[in-house]
Amino acid sequence: MIKIKDLEKIYRTEEVETIALNKLSMEVKEGEFVAVMGPSGCGKSTLLNILGLLDDSDNGSFIFNGVEVGKFNERKRAEMRKHNIGFVFQSFNLIDELTVYENVELPLIYTGVKTADRKAKVEAVLDKMKIMHRRNHYPQQLSGGQQQRVAVARAVVNNPKLILADEPTGNLDSSNGNEVMELLTDLNEQGTTIIMVTHSEHDARFSHRIIRMLDGQTVTENILV
Amino acid sequence: MIKNYFIIAWRNLSRHKTYSIINIAGLGIGLACAMLILLYVKDEVSFDNFHEKGDNIYRIVTQTKYDGAEHKDSNTGLLQGPRFAKNVPGIQTFVRVQSYTEDIKNGSEIQSQDLLYVDSSFFSVFTFPLLSGNAATCLTEPHSIVLSEDAAKKHFGTKEAVGKVVMIREGDKFVPFKVTAVAKRCPQNSSIKFDVLLPIKESVEDAQNNDNWFNFYLNTFVVLSPGANIQNVEKQMQKFYVQDAGVTFKQMIAKYGGRPDETMGSYHLQPYTDMHMNTELPAQNGLVNASNPIYSYILSGIALFVLLIACINFVNLTVARSVKRAKEIGIRKVVGGDRQQLIFQFLGESFLLCFIAFTLALLLVQLILPVFNDLANKALALSYLFDAKLIAIYLLLLLFTGLLAGFYPALVLSGYKPVETLYSRFNLTGKNYLQKSLVVLQFALASFLIIGTLTIYEQFNFLTKTDLGYDDSNIVVVNADVTHKDAAVFKAELLKNPNIIDVAPKNGGQWRTSAKISNDSSILFSYETIDESYFQTFKIPLVQGRNFSKAFPSDSTNSVLVNEAFVKKAGWKNPIGETVNFFYNNNEIYQVVGVVKDHHYLTLDQKIGPQLFTMKHDNWYGNFNIKIKPGSETESLKYIQKTFRQTLPLSPYSYIFKDDQRISDYESESKWKQIIFFGAVLTIFISCIGLFGLSVLSAEKRTKEIGIRKVLGASVHSVVTTLSKDFVKLVCMALVIAVPLAWLAAKLVILIAIATVSFQAVKAAIANPVKSLRTE
Repeated sequence: MIKIKDLEKIYRTEEVETIALNKLSMEVKEGEFVAVMGPSGCGKSTLLNILGLLDDSDNGSFIFNGVEVGKFNERKRAEMRKHNIGFVFQSFNLIDELTVYENVELPLIYTGVKTADRKAKVEAVLDKMKIMHRRNHYPQQLSGGQQQRVAVARAVVNNPKLILADEPTGNLDSSNGNEVMELLTDLNEQGTTIIMVTHSEHDARFSHRIIRMLDGQTVTENILV
Repeated sequence: MIKNYFIIAWRNLSRHKTYSIINIAGLGIGLACAMLILLYVKDEVSFDNFHEKGDNIYRIVTQTKYDGAEHKDSNTGLLQGPRFAKNVPGIQTFVRVQSYTEDIKNGSEIQSQDLLYVDSSFFSVFTFPLLSGNAATCLTEPHSIVLSEDAAKKHFGTKEAVGKVVMIREGDKFVPFKVTAVAKRCPQNSSIKFDVLLPIKESVEDAQNNDNWFNFYLNTFVVLSPGANIQNVEKQMQKFYVQDAGVTFKQMIAKYGGRPDETMGSYHLQPYTDMHMNTELPAQNGLVNASNPIYSYILSGIALFVLLIACINFVNLTVARSVKRAKEIGIRKVVGGDRQQLIFQFLGESFLLCFIAFTLALLLVQLILPVFNDLANKALALSYLFDAKLIAIYLLLLLFTGLLAGFYPALVLSGYKPVETLYSRFNLTGKNYLQKSLVVLQFALASFLIIGTLTIYEQFNFLTKTDLGYDDSNIVVVNADVTHKDAAVFKAELLKNPNIIDVAPKNGGQWRTSAKISNDSSILFSYETIDESYFQTFKIPLVQGRNFSKAFPSDSTNSVLVNEAFVKKAGWKNPIGETVNFFYNNNEIYQVVGVVKDHHYLTLDQKIGPQLFTMKHDNWYGNFNIKIKPGSETESLKYIQKTFRQTLPLSPYSYIFKDDQRISDYESESKWKQIIFFGAVLTIFISCIGLFGLSVLSAEKRTKEIGIRKVLGASVHSVVTTLSKDFVKLVCMALVIAVPLAWLAAKLVILIAIATVSFQAVKAAIANPVKSLRTE
């Protein structure tokens, strides 16, 4: 599903040049659950952003579902993103001015789903995430675990092929964290590919494979399954 | 999707009240200004265009050349209308409109009434609907009278006045005029506003006397055939004029003398709708409400300023607040929103806000309209707002404001990269040049208007407080057209009261005429008929020679006084004993016996021209300047009225204090001063609430910084300084920019003022070399 080769990303400021990704190559197959680990600043998040088409690389190739997407323009990226990729962030990133229901509905609006279908889909996913009773609340009124469940609901409402999770349990206590990890595992079992950046060995154990990174390169790969 | 945008927009507005109030109030005020001014401008440009034949109605105007310059005049005489209409193809019909004042008797009371003498074609040329009466015949009988509905109500208490009789003074007695029609009130955007119409007086001799080609005192309008070529008609008019009046012109020049380069002049046609805002050929002499287009420009400028400043608030606040919204933008992009959709969303928010502001503006306009009407001398009504064109313009204004205010923020906000906003790497602290320059621009505009206001105040003070060269305090002016004999009786009666210090009769209105000061040169001057009390009443000092005196009985038949400007213009070294030849009046010769100091007998914005004073018996007096003891107003006024009723029973009584009258001359300046003052206050107000909003946001953004500073020992005072420093700097910069610009603009205004003054002077000198003309 994902094939990257010799990916390079360099951040430049006036005085300093930081190499975030250094000729990184990797492959992720459809249906896999991959954890990316490594110390701060090793390039994990950069990798995730490039995989999610939020950022572009300076060099190298990125093939997604058989299509070279590395040089897509902003519009094509948005198009690709909204049909194929769901995101889950450490800090949830819900829109404060929208209710739970409206937050989850948002991706459907952008993909042009009709109102009636939207209602069915949003309700189904809220049910699944056990957050239906909170549908009319605003994010500030929810606990961290609940917020992350909403974020996951939003990430999956469109049935994306790929979910990118950036330290999804980083802001949660262990019981809430486990709940989220179980949600992701469920999704993976139903066929969704998941790539997750994490610092937690505990969380990484939910995955099939752990990629360890250092200084913008993969150093080892552990296959868990 | 739109619903989602709407929800977000609405929740944003209601959660951030300071921000919303600043934006809505600012934009609301800005839009209200723009709406009011659009109303004003629309009224100005649509002035007089309600006449059905409007496109084909023209005023006959003249252009002459002498002293090396072109001079235009909108006045014509008795002959131009009928003769051109009869002899020039393309001219269908004509109507002459002469303004006059007659005394009307209502029961036992006599009132003076401003009215228009017009031809019977009046109602066929102009579209003034009648309530009753026949438009075609109502002005054909010599003793018929047409009243407006207001005049009918005033005189008879009812609009049903046809067939009733109005008594109008003719010489010493009152003569019945029969009401033949009652007209609806004239529209407020009309140059012709009448209460009373009378058929124009024209004897057979007058109509045949070719001299009347050169007697300019009324407005003549013609209706051209549809499709007539103006240049062609003008050419034909000129051809006929030269042929019909050429010989007379030569005879008159031979008889009365003229300027060396004086020619016959030429006739032209001015579109009727052009008069209202034409400063060279304005609506005057019985036509009212002439306006200067500069007011439209100034007002439009103010509207644009206020609106622009409100839009700048919007842009600045939206961009400054965007840090808070950056996360939302990032999320929207992550879940699939593309840039266009975001631009659309933010523009939508701007439009929602503008729409609310727009509604507020409508309410404001309704509230302010009466005050504005009073200040701008208009009678605009809210119903004017419901005009298809205006609605279209307002919608455009809404669209324009929405775009102006929303476009930049939309572009900036939609360009944020999700990676940066979502990982809190994002900050907008940068240099922020745009925001800073917008604040500078805002305050520069506001300071500009304030300096403009100050300049105008200065100018107004100059106009009302400058020494005029005479003293008009405690002088009561009473109007009455009387002979010297009647005047003497009235004066003698008045002086019996010890409260009355002196009485100085003078001719009514402003007379101008010309006379020869040598064989080959003549002078145009203001011609004043007074008596020996005039100069001491007004404390106008004598420079040379002597005043009129009862000791010299011949003063009334062969002596005159002149002012210094006259002496200068005539080039006399020893004015006393020089002679003035009233060539058009049987070559009467007068001797100069005295010279008085120049004084501002016209308004201050007009130059002091040559003035000549006479006591000539044939000239009637038009008013009495009665100097009373300070503090004796009540008693004196009572006594003056009583004496007036006894000695001049046929004249209508009214009085005014001379200094009040003078100040009322500057009424329009005073009103414009207030309008511009309000404009300045509004711009400053909107700029300040904008700055307030910005500083609130900046303080919020810098909470952490302030915390750190305080932990490190900063005092409240130093924190306040840190926070305000940046903005104070910007406002100072704005001042530095605005002051020289405003100074330049003030210079420009003064230049325009000078140009206007010299234009007035030229206008005053407009050539009627042959006969005197009276303009009120």
